[in-house]
Amino acid sequence: MNRKLSYFLIGVVAVLAGACSDRDAETGQEIYTEVKSVNKLVLSQMTISKMASLDELTLDKAQGAKQILQALGNTLKIGSRKAAYSYDTYMRAYMDFSGFAPDDVKVSGNTVTLTLPAIQTEFAGRDVTINEEHYRVTGIRSAVSASERAEIKEKIAEALKAEVENNSTFKEQLVSTAEAKARAYFTSLLTADEGIENVVVRFKNSND
Amino acid sequence: MKKIIFILILVVAAAIGAVAIWQSSPQWDDEVKVQPAKIKDVKELAQLCTVEVYEDMPMKGRVGTRHIFARITMRGTISFDLDKMEIVESGDTLKVTLPKETVEVLEATTPDAYQVIDTWNEKFLGSDNMTAAEENKLKKMASERFKNRIYNKGYVTRAREEAAANLQSILSTMTGKTVVVTSDRREKRGERR
Repeated sequence: MNRKLSYFLIGVVAVLAGACSDRDAETGQEIYTEVKSVNKLVLSQMTISKMASLDELTLDKAQGAKQILQALGNTLKIGSRKAAYSYDTYMRAYMDFSGFAPDDVKVSGNTVTLTLPAIQTEFAGRDVTINEEHYRVTGIRSAVSASERAEIKEKIAEALKAEVENNSTFKEQLVSTAEAKARAYFTSLLTADEGIENVVVRFKNSND
Repeated sequence: MKKIIFILILVVAAAIGAVAIWQSSPQWDDEVKVQPAKIKDVKELAQLCTVEVYEDMPMKGRVGTRHIFARITMRGTISFDLDKMEIVESGDTLKVTLPKETVEVLEATTPDAYQVIDTWNEKFLGSDNMTAAEENKLKKMASERFKNRIYNKGYVTRAREEAAANLQSILSTMTGKTVVVTSDRREKRGERR
């Protein structure tokens, strides 16, 4: 009996070792690369912070049989499992100068009228890292895994996109800052010329 | 009798094992509450961005005997701070010196920009869990590798050439003057400092 059990365990270990060696296979430095040439003048950047917390599912919030079962299970488990994570996302406002043409500049006496490209906004990206704001896993509860943190990061990103779409404050604040910067920058640049005293800055609409 | 005791021990061990696995099983249905976004700051810039690099890259790292394999979509932008640009007027010619580049590397905001594919421990039955701090350290290293590749593959040199051409076009259109854009020799080669 003992000998049979030993053979079985050796077999299991051999299969697991084989699986591990496949996982160790080296990979390249990159899977896919895209390089884009652009002509963007970035005029403002907004840093947005967002946090999400991870809490046990309780019976009053459970929906459906699977969640009710899990909530019941949670009440029987020993210990707590709570965590909170946050990270920053960056939005920016820019003008695409690729269509800027001589017609967009009118000089009349000592006044220059500039019609600048429309100001657009985009998500520049988010922090590579994640901030652990709170972590309390006690008893014999499982630690929060890397996969769970990645899921939380994804949920924050989805929620932020929806929030920015539904609340115009983000874009308005970014665009007004960008317009002010563009006015100040080009006025200063053009009035450096002794013959120019006034600069009128206009912006095209994003639909133009 | 011996056989019955052995079977009983096996049953009890299996029951203890099952309870331990259940107790420590991941909580995929745990509630994730996302708080409203907060604007930390809004700053003015004048940065001419000429090259954007998107890269899907594998991240493979280890802390002791614990390993992680993940995929990250990175976004790199190469820009030039026009507030630091030097302009010297000489007759009908503007001599412009392009400032040093700014290479910014961030994680993309596209869906599933960071996915953990596998985590494991070299030790049999060892925990594969990594703390957030350990994972952050590996991600910072991956981001640094991406930044180095941006320089090594010549994207900075290309961005500098395109910035010179774009600036020359924008400034000559605005001022009606001849514009000459130059770079510091070392910066022209796109070397990292």
